[in-house]
Amino acid sequence: MSIKETVLKQDPPCTSTLGNYLWRDPPQENKWADCVHCGMCLESCPTYEQTGEEQHSPRGRVYLIKAVAEGKLKVDEHFADPVFSCLDCRACTTACPVDVDVGGLIEEARGQIRQGMPLKGWKKAVNWFFLHGVFPHHNRLNSIGTLLRFYQKSGLQKVVRKTKLINIMPKHLTEMESIMPEVKSPVRKKYDSVIKAKGVTKHEVSLLTGCVMDVFFSDINESTITVLTRNGSDVRIPRNQTCCGALHVHAGDREMGRKLAKQNIEAFENAETVIVNAAGCGCMMKEYTELFRDEPEWRKRAKSFEDKVVDISKYLHDTGYEKPKTMLKTRITYHDACHLAHGQRVRQEPRDILLDIPGVEMVHMPKSDSCCGSAGIYNLTNPEMADAVLKSKMENVPDDVEMISMGNPGCMMQMALGVQKYGRNQKIVHTVQLLDWAYQKEERDSSHGSPKD
Amino acid sequence: MAVQKINTTDKHIINLAGIVGGPRSILYKKADLLAYDCDGFTIHKHLPKAVVFPKSTEEVSKLVKYCSNNGLPFLARGAGTGLSGGAIPINGEVIISMVRMKKLISVDLENRRAVVEPGFVNLKLTNSISDKGYYYAPDPSSQYCCTIGGNVAENAGGAHCLKYGVTTNHILGLEVVLPNGEIVEIGRNGVLDEPGYDLLGLITGSEGTLGIVTKITVRILKSPEGKQTVLAYFDKVEDGSQAVSDIISAGIVPAALEMMDKTAIEAVEAAAFPVGHPKDIEAVLLIEVDGIAAGIEEQVNQILEVCRKRNVREVRAAKDEAERGRWWANRKTGFGAMGAISPDYLVQDGVIPRSKLPEVLSKISQISKESGLRIANIFHAGDGNLHPLVLFDARKPGEIDKALEAGSACLKACADVGGTITGEHGVGIEKRDEMRFVFKDEEIFAQTSIREVFNPNNLLNAGKLFPTPGRCVEIKKELKSLT
Repeated sequence: MSIKETVLKQDPPCTSTLGNYLWRDPPQENKWADCVHCGMCLESCPTYEQTGEEQHSPRGRVYLIKAVAEGKLKVDEHFADPVFSCLDCRACTTACPVDVDVGGLIEEARGQIRQGMPLKGWKKAVNWFFLHGVFPHHNRLNSIGTLLRFYQKSGLQKVVRKTKLINIMPKHLTEMESIMPEVKSPVRKKYDSVIKAKGVTKHEVSLLTGCVMDVFFSDINESTITVLTRNGSDVRIPRNQTCCGALHVHAGDREMGRKLAKQNIEAFENAETVIVNAAGCGCMMKEYTELFRDEPEWRKRAKSFEDKVVDISKYLHDTGYEKPKTMLKTRITYHDACHLAHGQRVRQEPRDILLDIPGVEMVHMPKSDSCCGSAGIYNLTNPEMADAVLKSKMENVPDDVEMISMGNPGCMMQMALGVQKYGRNQKIVHTVQLLDWAYQKEERDSSHGSPKD
Repeated sequence: MAVQKINTTDKHIINLAGIVGGPRSILYKKADLLAYDCDGFTIHKHLPKAVVFPKSTEEVSKLVKYCSNNGLPFLARGAGTGLSGGAIPINGEVIISMVRMKKLISVDLENRRAVVEPGFVNLKLTNSISDKGYYYAPDPSSQYCCTIGGNVAENAGGAHCLKYGVTTNHILGLEVVLPNGEIVEIGRNGVLDEPGYDLLGLITGSEGTLGIVTKITVRILKSPEGKQTVLAYFDKVEDGSQAVSDIISAGIVPAALEMMDKTAIEAVEAAAFPVGHPKDIEAVLLIEVDGIAAGIEEQVNQILEVCRKRNVREVRAAKDEAERGRWWANRKTGFGAMGAISPDYLVQDGVIPRSKLPEVLSKISQISKESGLRIANIFHAGDGNLHPLVLFDARKPGEIDKALEAGSACLKACADVGGTITGEHGVGIEKRDEMRFVFKDEEIFAQTSIREVFNPNNLLNAGKLFPTPGRCVEIKKELKSLT
């Protein structure tokens, strides 16, 4: 099907085209206008580091995105390759002398590609199944969680691994299976919609429980709730919240992104503060206005929503938290999740929290803010590149640490894979988990009256 | 990754791919080539025929031989951050990209030298040896991403070249693939001052027209024991310029002595690394001194004193390393920062005697008024290396030409006071014609004659560095008829 024919079938009809961008919501000129092609971004880019090819660099991608608008290139598979090979890690925005929003441009360009060249065959099916069929639906995710729990607990996992049945999966999926976290019960099922603060209520916050987070990493949600309530916050869990839409927007499905964004904006309408413990979700939610350029009313609501969104580490840092009183003796290092460090510019806050735990010794990780290759579902869609990026990341993990702390579940899965694959032995933890454990230890110690160690 | 499938009937592409082999080692489709149609100089654009990624000197040699034997124009490219268009394939060249030859081959601390492949990034060298107390001195502002191979081609400078010299002062040996494919070594073993002609000096700064550098032995230095940076704000450009001269006259040799004018300050403050420079000052100076820790404080005091005598509004030393870092990040991202106040910019690179600073700056401001284009000034004041940044909007008809004219006029102003047209960015395409401001035809001819010795068919990076023949050819004929 030619591009023109596809346009005719698109709904809504496009009202404002830009060069060879023929569909709704094209990349915006003001985003690339600041780029003067200086190249300061090159070395920050994981895919340029791996390939040395300029079309796989931030500067090159911006140049190509601009070239389509100028009518020099078409939206076709040659354009799609560099645009979809981007990890959307935003390291280039940090390196850029003028903050060119490369990530935003990439997401908009992907929107055009997906409208102009819709996925076909099994790719379409898989994409649709996860992005439309599963992530936005808590009950379905929970069912999958239940199935996985059954898979892990019933011994089926062992059977599959032992009988080599597992070998029928592609290699990278086999690797993912092996590091799948133990699935626990989601907090949305476990708790009421309001969990009261311990002691006096100082703040009221609402928690994004996340889609995957609450199924695969519900213990991080548990830790988040414990830490918040311990420090005087009532925690609300709005029931009608949904997936943040980051995976959809990264994949170019901006329509679904908008739908989910609207549901969340409504769900958190009455919240004063929206706490997020997944960097990718937080970054997406802080960019909701980008999705509503031609819906002024929603744009306004998105703006006021954005301002309420805050990462758990920044929230604790800004509003204050009790420092744990017992020793939690451990050597750790910290990995900056891209969407926390580059996307939200939260770097020091989690480090400060970790260092406030007595006994925690922090070892510097060189290039701590370089991508681990997880990048949403990039490790599933571009396994070779993701693996090369992970390899570089693991080379920078110091040898003599027991744990690697971070603030994003996607990174946690990927880094766990890295630890396993490259024969390392670090435990992967979320920043807020470590704080929670320190509190737990403090409580245990005080109830046993044991001396501090 | 699998071996790349080549889907073309072009025999040259098939043959070139055969030389390099391996995954994605050649690009030849238009969409893949577009990102290579210019470098940091974006006014001239041309698509290359192909981009090939060799992994070894031998592969480079084979590629060069192939191009040479088949009459294909070719050129070498590093990170593509050059500002004069040296890596732009104006003749539809085969680009030999050196970025995958990026190893640090060896470090010899005892003899203070390191050997790198050309694709090795400048700053990575310092980062690799800083824990042992050493560093690589030439520090172009693009050092975060530019390659040492590119630095050699352009004889790159940088903020700290005032005290330590530019790239050529730090090159001890080169392995070069000549345009006929022959591999030669110059400056064997990195021993200083080889007898015979200074071929290292000739190759360094030859802008990729004499050969392709495949291995570089560089000098590394012991990191200075102490360093301190002073920031000074002036209400008048003249006072700032005068302070520059006074500092040098006082016998201080700063490691760096940088200046930015009001328009430049507007840009860096609107960009990603603002430090809070006041908007209403005319000039800011960044002065860095380094060396034995004991002498630093005295030098800083001297500098503070000199600035105060020249009516400085505010002058102070950095309170800590973090502040020093912020000041330098603000300065070093200055060119890119122009994006915050203008869609396009063209940076010039004139050099003048320090004493002519006020005169030339006022001339530049006059050029700005006449052209109707804003011109920002960021420069290495200490060595009189000016960088007028002509701000324009390529989308407006005629504005590119106006910018080029204004840029050229700035260079003329430099040449007129006894200066020259490039300090560190190279001539490339950008300043070919301006070479006539500083060289007579015979002098240009003398230089192209040297090129002919190395590059007789002129297939390697043709059309760069010197003005297009025209009169040169005539002179050549004349000279021939005389002999």
